[in-house]
Amino acid sequence: MNLVWKIKQRSCNKIKKYKVENNNPISRDRIINDLVPKQFGKRGMIWTSILILICLIGAYAYYRQLTKGLVVTNMRDYVSWGIYISNFVFFVAISLVGSLITAILRLADVHWSTPLTRIAEIIAVSAIVFASLIIIVDMGRPERFMNLFLHGRLQSPIIWDVTVITTYFFISLFLLYLPLLPDLKILIAHRKPSVNKFHKLYVFLGSFWKGHKEQFRLNDKSINILCVMIIPVAFCIHTVTSWLFATTYRPGWDSTNFGAYFISGAFLVGAGAVVVAMYVFRRYYKLEKYITEFHFEKMGKIVVMLGLLYLYFNINEYLIPAFKMKKAEEEHLRELFSGSYSIMFWFAIFVGMLIPIFILITKKGRKPLPMFIAGIMVVVGAWFKRYLIVTPTLLHPFLPMQNVPESYKHYFPSWEEWAIAMGSLAGALLVITFFVRILPIIPIYETIIEQNEESQKDIAV
Amino acid sequence: MKKAKKTLRYNLLLVLVISIFLPTLVNAQAASNETAILKLHYFNINNNVQYLLLESSTKKNKVFTPQKNILYKVYLDTVSNSNLISSIKTNDAGKAKMFFPPYLKSHWDKSSTHMFIVMKGDEEVLTDYYITKARLEIDTTTIDEIKNITVKVSKEDNGKLFPVPDVEMKVGIQRLVGVLSGGDEETYTSDSSGVVTVPFTKINMPGDSLGNLILVAKIEDNETLGNITVEKKAKWGVPMVLSEDFFSKRELWSTRFRSPYWLLFMAYAIIIGVYSTLIYLIVQLVKTIKIGKQGPPPLV
Repeated sequence: MNLVWKIKQRSCNKIKKYKVENNNPISRDRIINDLVPKQFGKRGMIWTSILILICLIGAYAYYRQLTKGLVVTNMRDYVSWGIYISNFVFFVAISLVGSLITAILRLADVHWSTPLTRIAEIIAVSAIVFASLIIIVDMGRPERFMNLFLHGRLQSPIIWDVTVITTYFFISLFLLYLPLLPDLKILIAHRKPSVNKFHKLYVFLGSFWKGHKEQFRLNDKSINILCVMIIPVAFCIHTVTSWLFATTYRPGWDSTNFGAYFISGAFLVGAGAVVVAMYVFRRYYKLEKYITEFHFEKMGKIVVMLGLLYLYFNINEYLIPAFKMKKAEEEHLRELFSGSYSIMFWFAIFVGMLIPIFILITKKGRKPLPMFIAGIMVVVGAWFKRYLIVTPTLLHPFLPMQNVPESYKHYFPSWEEWAIAMGSLAGALLVITFFVRILPIIPIYETIIEQNEESQKDIAV
Repeated sequence: MKKAKKTLRYNLLLVLVISIFLPTLVNAQAASNETAILKLHYFNINNNVQYLLLESSTKKNKVFTPQKNILYKVYLDTVSNSNLISSIKTNDAGKAKMFFPPYLKSHWDKSSTHMFIVMKGDEEVLTDYYITKARLEIDTTTIDEIKNITVKVSKEDNGKLFPVPDVEMKVGIQRLVGVLSGGDEETYTSDSSGVVTVPFTKINMPGDSLGNLILVAKIEDNETLGNITVEKKAKWGVPMVLSEDFFSKRELWSTRFRSPYWLLFMAYAIIIGVYSTLIYLIVQLVKTIKIGKQGPPPLV
């Protein structure tokens, strides 16, 4: 009991210290002025233009793929899942952050995560949209997509994946929308319709929100239900994605550990993405009063914990097969450890996990800039990790590759594949950018309420 | 002594130079040489259907490459329009299959031996392919409860059939990817009367639903007779009735209409659970909208 009281006391002291550092509380009007979406400046326009350009190049490459067929890619009989599926797994992984920041921390009654919830949900929705799109891109005949539903077998993990992705998309969209309702009222009232470009959109989305007590009660109840529901669905989406691999008998995929391994990796990359977004938004929109060093400190600790967890699963995933060195696994593992994929493999381990852990384990490392660098490393490392999960295994089937053209034995994506993959990444960033332009990055209403509660508590103290 | 040493040194140098450059020269020569290969095969199926198969390829550096879309003209005995069997292009595999046109029947019947000429443009690229018309007969006998396959090979000469000795052939059962020998030997050779008798040792072989096996005798790439195949059905196998049970079971490998019940239950329970909750949330949202339509909340 004494220990619990001490921990609570330490936590309260830290929050007080953080408030003193940031001269809280902030007035209501100030919060609204700071947090309403702002028009892009020059840098914002350049950023958006670059993303649109990359998307257009990707669209052209996809047009070529549509007209000429999958032959424009370098995927052949053996590597039939190339960079597209790596990208898909990456997007699915990043989307898991919605459940971590919004749901898990909310249910655990952690209030410091309030400014990060919308960022996490925007990232989740954008990532899940592009995870779905990239699956269609990977199809040689996308016009037959509906056949998956018309003739799909429930026994196939692909059907499970399609179902769970669709479900997760709806839940994420809900979880983005419901907490937004009180903010929409503020946005509608904040500026005159003639000045407010998105006034009509705000009215369409949230004009019914009048701030009734009953509305708040219903909304809070719905958000709580969503938070409970999104956790198992989020676990399902990534477990099922891992089962797409694990149910296929291949070296490197034949593992009972894959579900947990994928989920831990997804939490890590999602948290890394939030850290990067936190830093960028904080800097660009001058949100130092809302996304403070305290938030970086907390997120840093979460990333370290998730990094260690993922490292643990990686050791399990590689050490045990390497200890046994079954003949079929041997070639695959040697390629990863010391062969043609070794640079990428050790890059993913060191840059994606070990170095960020070492950066963030120190207090100085949990400052915004080092955390931003560590976040970038986690995200980039995670992308290469997904590539390594997909491609090397496909190049090492159990039966030797015989009497096939030389090009079947190697895989390096064609320019069309690179353009489409990069276009999809840029597309996801573009969706995030548009959301940020339209919606408040930090929940306005919740911030006002929390500020009032804290100031009232301070008065009471 | 000095001169001898000098000569030895020159010889060693020469050997060294040759040993270094000779493989390169040989390889270069081999690399530059591309050999065109043209093969013609004559097939006779069940003494009824005759056709020719032409194979065109090139060989370079020990690698065979099929020649696609090459136009060849194939003639029977002489190069004339009346004796043209076919004017045909090779396919992607460098092969072209052609049947004998009806107008060549009288010419075909006139002689026992025929020559085939292949022309590529104006050049005769193959002229030495001769075929003697032959007949292969297959029959079954049972002597002392021992089943035998009897095959007789005979060739035509002046309109009459004469037995052909020393012809190698396969005799057995036609399976999915080849001929399974009916006896203990892989191949058999005809005796002086042109006959091969194979004691049938493959008992209890799965046949069709009535127990029929397809017995087959096959002469392959014989210099004078070409490729001849003859088949005969015999009720020597075990009737195989495919069990529908395997496919009608509700298992993970079954069709989409036969998903296992446990999977259906699990999947639909999850889907119904999640989506009914989502519907409930939509209902809550509708309620929220309705409350909002009542106007702003009263001021306290």
